Amino acid sequence: MDIRRRAMLGMIALASISLPAFSAQAEDVTITVWSLDRDIQPAPNLIKEFNKLNTGIKVEYRQIQFDDVVSEAMRAYSTGQAPDIIAVDNPEHALFSSRGAFLDLTDMVAKSSVVKPENYFPGPLASVTWDGKLYGIPKATNTIALFYNKDMFKAKGLDPDKPPQSWDELVEAARKLTDPAANVYGLAFSAKANEEGTFQFLPWAQMAGGGYDNINAEGAVKALDIWKTIIDEKLASPDSLTRGQWDSTGTFNSGNAAMAISGPWELDRMIQEAKFDWGVALLPVPKIGSERSSAMGDFNWAVFSSTEHPEEAFKVLEFFVSQDDRMFKDFGQLPARSDIAIPPTGEPLKDAALQVFLEQLKYAKPRGPHPEWPKISKAIQDAIQAALTGQMSSKEALDQAAEKIKAVLG
Amino acid sequence: MKRILSSVTDGKGFDIGLVLLPLAFLFVLSGLPLVYNVVMSFQEVDMFSLGSFVRPFVGFKNYVDLFSQPETAPILLNTALFVTASIAGQFIIGFGLALFFWMNFPGASWLRGLFLVSWVMPGLVVGAIWNWILSGDFGVLNFFLREMGVIAGNIFWRSDPNYSLWAVIIANIWLGTSFNMILLSVGLSAIPRDLYEAAELDGATALQRFFTITLPMMRSTIGAIIALGLIFTLQQFDLFAGITSGGPNNSSNVTQYWAWDLSFRQYDFAKGATISAIMIVFVMLASVVYVRSTRHEVRG
Amino acid sequence: MSDQIRNRLMLGVALVLAAIYLFPLYWMYVTALKTGSAVFATPPNFLPSTPQWSVYPYVWESRNMGRYLWNSLVIALGAVSLVAVLGVGCAYVLARYRNVWVDVGLFLILMLQVLPASLMVTPIFVGFSQFGLLETPRLAVILAIAAKTMPFFVVLVRATFMSVPMELEEAALVDGNSRIGAFFNIALPLARNGILVSAILIFMQAFGEFVYSKSMIQAVELQPASVGLNTFMGPNTNEWNNIMAYATIYVTPVLAVFVLLQRRIVSGLTSGALK
Repeated sequence: MDIRRRAMLGMIALASISLPAFSAQAEDVTITVWSLDRDIQPAPNLIKEFNKLNTGIKVEYRQIQFDDVVSEAMRAYSTGQAPDIIAVDNPEHALFSSRGAFLDLTDMVAKSSVVKPENYFPGPLASVTWDGKLYGIPKATNTIALFYNKDMFKAKGLDPDKPPQSWDELVEAARKLTDPAANVYGLAFSAKANEEGTFQFLPWAQMAGGGYDNINAEGAVKALDIWKTIIDEKLASPDSLTRGQWDSTGTFNSGNAAMAISGPWELDRMIQEAKFDWGVALLPVPKIGSERSSAMGDFNWAVFSSTEHPEEAFKVLEFFVSQDDRMFKDFGQLPARSDIAIPPTGEPLKDAALQVFLEQLKYAKPRGPHPEWPKISKAIQDAIQAALTGQMSSKEALDQAAEKIKAVLG
Repeated sequence: MKRILSSVTDGKGFDIGLVLLPLAFLFVLSGLPLVYNVVMSFQEVDMFSLGSFVRPFVGFKNYVDLFSQPETAPILLNTALFVTASIAGQFIIGFGLALFFWMNFPGASWLRGLFLVSWVMPGLVVGAIWNWILSGDFGVLNFFLREMGVIAGNIFWRSDPNYSLWAVIIANIWLGTSFNMILLSVGLSAIPRDLYEAAELDGATALQRFFTITLPMMRSTIGAIIALGLIFTLQQFDLFAGITSGGPNNSSNVTQYWAWDLSFRQYDFAKGATISAIMIVFVMLASVVYVRSTRHEVRG
Repeated sequence: MSDQIRNRLMLGVALVLAAIYLFPLYWMYVTALKTGSAVFATPPNFLPSTPQWSVYPYVWESRNMGRYLWNSLVIALGAVSLVAVLGVGCAYVLARYRNVWVDVGLFLILMLQVLPASLMVTPIFVGFSQFGLLETPRLAVILAIAAKTMPFFVVLVRATFMSVPMELEEAALVDGNSRIGAFFNIALPLARNGILVSAILIFMQAFGEFVYSKSMIQAVELQPASVGLNTFMGPNTNEWNNIMAYATIYVTPVLAVFVLLQRRIVSGLTSGALK
């Protein structure tokens, strides 16, 4: 031990160049926060404001990539390097809470005057709950709907006030809107082999009577067949298989796709970039009148159980929660709360879109919660990719996925 | 004591010290992690037990599981194809360029130097550039191919399972060609010119000269290049991350990316380590080839 | 006369080949200067009609590139110094002898770099965290990169020492030099060029290193430019002009140094470093 210490000291002495250039005030408690929010998104901005309040708590922020959240968090946690607070994607929350990696916040929430479980939508709340206890606070919520370019609808003789309602109408509209000569695809969506593909496909499966625990239901197979039609007929770019939602919707904004399936996180950028009239519609259903469904997205806040300052970390979370009412106006994100009436933003397109997303959210179902969600999701992604690349029929692909998921669910 | 001291300053001890210090450094920073990987491939690893060594041993279970997965065989085949095609492409183009620049003309060495810039580019940047060049709808490569009449419709390099592996291979050939070229240039410049003059007097054609003089004289260089190429190719990771992420449906997945994907996307660290262990065997073979190729060296 | 025509012809062909080969780089520079919508134009413009020079200050400012590049520089310099200090001696000894132990040494050195950084990073991360090295993340990355690049450096520099005639050293020993003296006075100066070139190559690799930095450096103030680029690319892949501008700022200094020194580098490589 002694030798190790000495070796370490030596190395640290050598490393004077690597020492951080900043130092916190001695009496401040430092809380580290990891999330995927970029500079125009909530976390870094809220943290800046929080630090200005001089509460004796200094918050440090680190941005991590969507794809790296879980692996970075796990590695940090298992080696004692975990931050105090992290934002994780809701389907992955159970992975951590089931293993005791997150702090049980139930008691602190019970005492809090800011965070009240009854204020939250049931879906997001379920994702932070494990074994009847609260292991986090929903950060925001979202779901997906159909964006469409009204100018293109007019140009192709479609009624811009009647966006497609059913799957068949969607395909029909996409056929009319696709214009290879003008580099326009009918639809943009994401079938990428990561959580985004699962997130985009599950609503389709659920609307038709399937679900992650029943992924090879007849309706789910039909849904995947429709996706395949869209890709095979080049109604959407074949790159949909490798592009995430943000990139796909980028082609909609630039006028290279006439419709796009994505979420409210697109709104701010779309208002800036899209130089045409657009609208948002509920996700088309299998047949007019079918049950609606969508997937519940977005992240949750959680405190790592390894934190040395649980009280202070919770105070930071309380501050975040106290700012929920401006989430949509300032950052285009929807708070996961039923007690907040979102005030109009004064931006007509954004306000109209908000109403559609709020309606769509009513049908949003959480993914899981299940501690092995990544495996379930992977099985679904594999099936989507196998079917869309023509290596298996939709039925075969989903049957295989169902088998893998059954093994996970036990 | 004095003998030891003087051997450190003057004799074998000096040499051994010079070698052992870096070897010890490498052992700690590369050897132990390798061992850790191999040990992990025989254990049941839980993502939260990453930090400790004490984990249940499961024998060859991870290996058996791995080979019973349907994607294993195609991914191994992809790896073989990726390695072969990349090395062949880099080598052939690199050799061609080396021979071309070997014919002396004004500006030859300067232009040859320019080719090396691809090699000093960060892999991530190369991945980003090629991702952009190869993109389906807006990619400039598709534009060239269309203009030249090679293709009628766009090829979706990154998303079409028939092309996705080739997309990465193209980028990797671009990246590795310059290294091959410069190594081969060095080998060529070491061949005594009078050999060729003699052969020319004997009436050997250019082709004959190439096969009877150039190739045999280059044997050890070629061996070294292919062995190093194999190691570099098996390490190529950034391009997969930057261009296809192994997709769609594993059609461009190779072992080194898959191992990472299993570890960090699916959190199955044991399987990731299992693939690493299998790769170690392959690279061991390459290292043997490299070391053997240095047998023919002479001190100049 | 015919020689002149041949030379011109060869030069022409060489220029065409270079143009084809370097096109990806050109495309990076051109894309950076395009407007957001011109990036997606079909057919693509090969010369931006309205070059957007303001993209550079914009990206530099908004992505805080000065800090990123400084960190890249610190990491690369640290790694290259460590590699040079440890690697030169090793390469020298491996070049001096020709026996089975050298084979074993070479074999071990090559073996130790078999796995891509992406797979080595977990064990290294775990090990470093046990020793508290992650408190000084840039040092941790320097150590990891040094271990990763040293084998290649040793292989290159060993070849350089192979081209240093042993007789010179032996003569120095006869003249009363110690082994250390002979090493520093004879072998090292003669191999200087090859060592320098190899060091430059290692520097460039370290300057672009990504996987270790990304996993080990959590504080954004200490991250290098590769991590910055990745953060930038993340979900935003359709800002191609800004990404390419970032890439341009990132690689141009390296490329400039390389092109300026390339005569030296190429002659260093051809005169022994790679034999």
